[in-house]
Amino acid sequence: MALHIICCVKQVPDPETPASQFRVDEAAKKVIPAPGIAPVPSQFDTIGVEAALRIRDALGDVKISVVSMGPDSFRDAIKHCLAMGADDGYLINDPALHEADHWVTAQVLAAAIQKLAPFDLVITGRQAVDWDMGVVGPTLAELLGIPCVTIAKDVKVQDGKVVVERVLLDGFETVEAPLPAVVTVSNELGEPRYPQLRQIMMAARKQVTVWTAADLGLNPAQLQNRVNVEALYIPETKVETEFIEGDTVEEKVDRLLQRLREAKLI
Amino acid sequence: MAIEVKVRSPQLRLLLAGLSFFVAVALVPLVAALVVIAASQGMGEATRQVFFNIAKWARIFVYALTAAILLVLAYGPLSRLRLWLIGKREDRWDRPWERARFFLLYGIGQGRMPNDLYAGLMHLLIFWGWTFLFIGTVMLAFHDDFVEYLEGHVYLGYSLALDLAGVAATVGILMALYRRYLWKHPKMRLGSLWDDVALLWLMLAILLTGFVIEGMRVGMTELQGATIDVHGGIASDPNWAPWSPIGFLIGKAALESGASQGFMELLHKSLWWLHLAMATGWVAWVGYGKISHILLGSANIFLRKLSPTGAALAGTALPPIADFETAERFGAGYLRDFTWKQLMDVDVCVRCGRCEAHCPAYNTGKELTPMGFLQDIKRYLTEAGPRLLAARRKGEEVKEERAIAGDVVSFNTIWDCVTCGACEYQCPLFIEHIPKLMDMRRYLVMEQASMPETAQATLMQLEQRGHPWRGTQLTRTTWIEELAREGVEVPMFDGSQEYLYWVGCTGALQERNVRVTKAIVRLLLQAGVSFGVLGAEETCSGDPARRLGNEYLFQMQAQQNIETFKAKGVKKVIANCPHCFNTIRHEYPQLDGRFEVVHHTQLFAQLVAEGRLEPRTINELWGFPVTYHDPCYLARHNNIMGEPRQLLAAMDLETVEMERHRGHTFCCGAGGGHMWVEESKGQRINHVRTAEAAGTGARVIAVACPFCLQMFEEGVGSVPEAARKGMQVLDVAELLERSVAYSRAAATR
Ligand code: SF4
Ligand code: SF4
Repeated sequence: MALHIICCVKQVPDPETPASQFRVDEAAKKVIPAPGIAPVPSQFDTIGVEAALRIRDALGDVKISVVSMGPDSFRDAIKHCLAMGADDGYLINDPALHEADHWVTAQVLAAAIQKLAPFDLVITGRQAVDWDMGVVGPTLAELLGIPCVTIAKDVKVQDGKVVVERVLLDGFETVEAPLPAVVTVSNELGEPRYPQLRQIMMAARKQVTVWTAADLGLNPAQLQNRVNVEALYIPETKVETEFIEGDTVEEKVDRLLQRLREAKLI
Repeated sequence: MAIEVKVRSPQLRLLLAGLSFFVAVALVPLVAALVVIAASQGMGEATRQVFFNIAKWARIFVYALTAAILLVLAYGPLSRLRLWLIGKREDRWDRPWERARFFLLYGIGQGRMPNDLYAGLMHLLIFWGWTFLFIGTVMLAFHDDFVEYLEGHVYLGYSLALDLAGVAATVGILMALYRRYLWKHPKMRLGSLWDDVALLWLMLAILLTGFVIEGMRVGMTELQGATIDVHGGIASDPNWAPWSPIGFLIGKAALESGASQGFMELLHKSLWWLHLAMATGWVAWVGYGKISHILLGSANIFLRKLSPTGAALAGTALPPIADFETAERFGAGYLRDFTWKQLMDVDVCVRCGRCEAHCPAYNTGKELTPMGFLQDIKRYLTEAGPRLLAARRKGEEVKEERAIAGDVVSFNTIWDCVTCGACEYQCPLFIEHIPKLMDMRRYLVMEQASMPETAQATLMQLEQRGHPWRGTQLTRTTWIEELAREGVEVPMFDGSQEYLYWVGCTGALQERNVRVTKAIVRLLLQAGVSFGVLGAEETCSGDPARRLGNEYLFQMQAQQNIETFKAKGVKKVIANCPHCFNTIRHEYPQLDGRFEVVHHTQLFAQLVAEGRLEPRTINELWGFPVTYHDPCYLARHNNIMGEPRQLLAAMDLETVEMERHRGHTFCCGAGGGHMWVEESKGQRINHVRTAEAAGTGARVIAVACPFCLQMFEEGVGSVPEAARKGMQVLDVAELLERSVAYSRAAATR
């Protein structure tokens, strides 16, 4: 029977936005989208799709679904994954969910994944490159009641198990988990593939299925954020320059050393 | 032994071509005729007996043989033509008069040959010598069988002209043999197939036997005043003999050494048959080996790509993919994805090595050689072509075992090309290398998604952000805001201005290039030019996407710009990036975007000529020689070489030229999307070029392209000769701004 892999993807503000263009609304505690700079698919998530495609390259009979939650513009991220080679795309677009934190997001995605069952593997990026929290993957596993392996650099499916090479601070480790499972992938896995033009054209024609919370049997009123953003601001960096004066070079060096010691820099 | 004489100036080259044409076509017969008339008083009867000493039936035999040989000759090109038809359709019959004119200049006139003076002269001698001998033979047949006109002065002049032609051809062949065996010129790397080598020796043998036959005839008839079988028998005259100088010398030597009549007769007769066999063999060969370039090369020159927008080379504007929905394949992966003309190109190449000798990729140790990849495809076409044709004839599905892109022609070969056009500029047969390489890139990118990592990153970047400069901290309006803070208001284009100044991604997003952009804007404002910019509404012109093989992305980007231009009423565009300039000028019309484009150096040269900008000597550069680097896309692809130099001259700068300049310029390494693609191996192209610039003794490298600027800036930091001298790299506009600012200061003082 065909293996079914579900990849969760997110659209994020371009991480390469020039710093001068990056603004936040401190009162509303929100990021103001930079004008003229289009959002992009979160890079770790496309690496997740790459991992799924590699499993399909190895096994052949694999169906890959892509799930995302967000406004209509998130369609672009889904289309990009379809162009890479994924089979179907699903977007949960519900205005009531646009302020969702990781907890609500995970609940909605879990509901969508269950709706897409049977499934064998869920792959997410290790973290989204906007807020960099890295918790949706593990929370999903918790909610689905299945094992979770994080920060993978290689994912294989063998004999009904998933074999994952994980990145550690000082090396790698290989772990196995029974299917179904959640795996989050890291950039060590490799670059996501470049879509072939035929697939881009095919993806452009493919329909993305759109669901609301109600379609998933959820009531947005009962989904409460658990994360409270206390404050949002761009940290200020200050540079102070002090000239060390002195009559001779030796004197200047001595004073410099003294200052550095005082500042506990040496 | 590596002395190579090269003619750099295009005017001089054309002059040489014209001169040689004149010398060969008009001068040789003219001189012969004048000499004859002056010196041959009283030889009104002079003529020769055709088929002297040869059996009567030989005449019939020769005609029959000629007919047979012509059939054999014709079969060669026809069999190749069948192979080319494996390719797709392509129209190459437009504008026949222009083609004819072009053919006269570059086919018969051999306008590209003086690029390499030794080889050019050698070829010229062989070509014209041989042509005269051939025409002479046909004339003789006409004389013998139809109208007897080779008599008296006409005959003597004829005889002299043919002997001179024979000498010219012999000298040419000896030059070729010398180049091949003693000089061992590197261009001969692939030019020594048995076919190429045997050809030379055969031609030498034909010439030498011809002279000996003539010598024997002269010795047996004219020198002895013997009666010849013409008009029922007339007496020949020893005074005629010197009009066949080589024959005269040989005949005289034979007589003086006491050769017997019988020996001379035998030698004459046997060599006559040998000569006939070799000459007819040669004619048959013209249908097949390297020598077939007489026919195929000529045809190739006639069939070259003609540009509707005046692009200089076939690779200047890449052909568009007309319909993505119905295209069987994107780009060229297999033989049948090329057009018939592309396959013909491959077949026509004579392995002269000119392209390779100028290719920046090959000359820095990369896998790519333009001559080599053509030969690889040719070999495969010859081997697999007939099989494919047979399958097609049987109506079977045509399966090609090997892909061209990535297999017959390697991945690195395809990706090494910087589209500089040196190969196309040099090729005497007008073979079109770049479109083939780019079609293969298209296949690799759009069908296979197979490309170097850096190329992939660039394409992703272009797709997502509309510009190729990953990680830039600038936006397209940063420089405008900065100028505003200096009190310079940059006009936004709203349709009321004459020009749109197209800044380009590099001009807006790279700090170093922003300085050039600002200089240009200040100069335009100062000269009172009516212009505006698009600011945030600009997006990439599409050149990098197209040359990195993503035609789809190119068309989207180009279309978007064309729409913006049309909506805003743009008619004239100023571009300082030669790549944008080239794309807007030659490639936008393919998508129905027709705008007049000028390069900033052109416009500034005009403004200086009109007195609207007044440059003066730049004091701080006094005594610092400047060398100007011709950008490939300006000089070679668009023939713009004079204006930047005029500007430097107007600034009274001391200039020195690099060895490779104007049309022969050597790429900085950034063309064809290579600004963002890692070089596969070997030396870095920009380092080689920077070293060349440093070698001129110049202290400043003047450029006219944002990529060249980047490449040289990196180069002068890394190449020791340049770093030691503290070389500076400046755009011509930056120099001009300093010069004009100085002149203003001087005027107000
Ligand atoms: S365009 Fe330039 S780099 Fe490409 S093959 Fe020709 S000479 Fe070489
Ligand atoms: S492509 Fe042209 S220049 Fe290059 S080897 Fe062939 S004939 Fe010579």
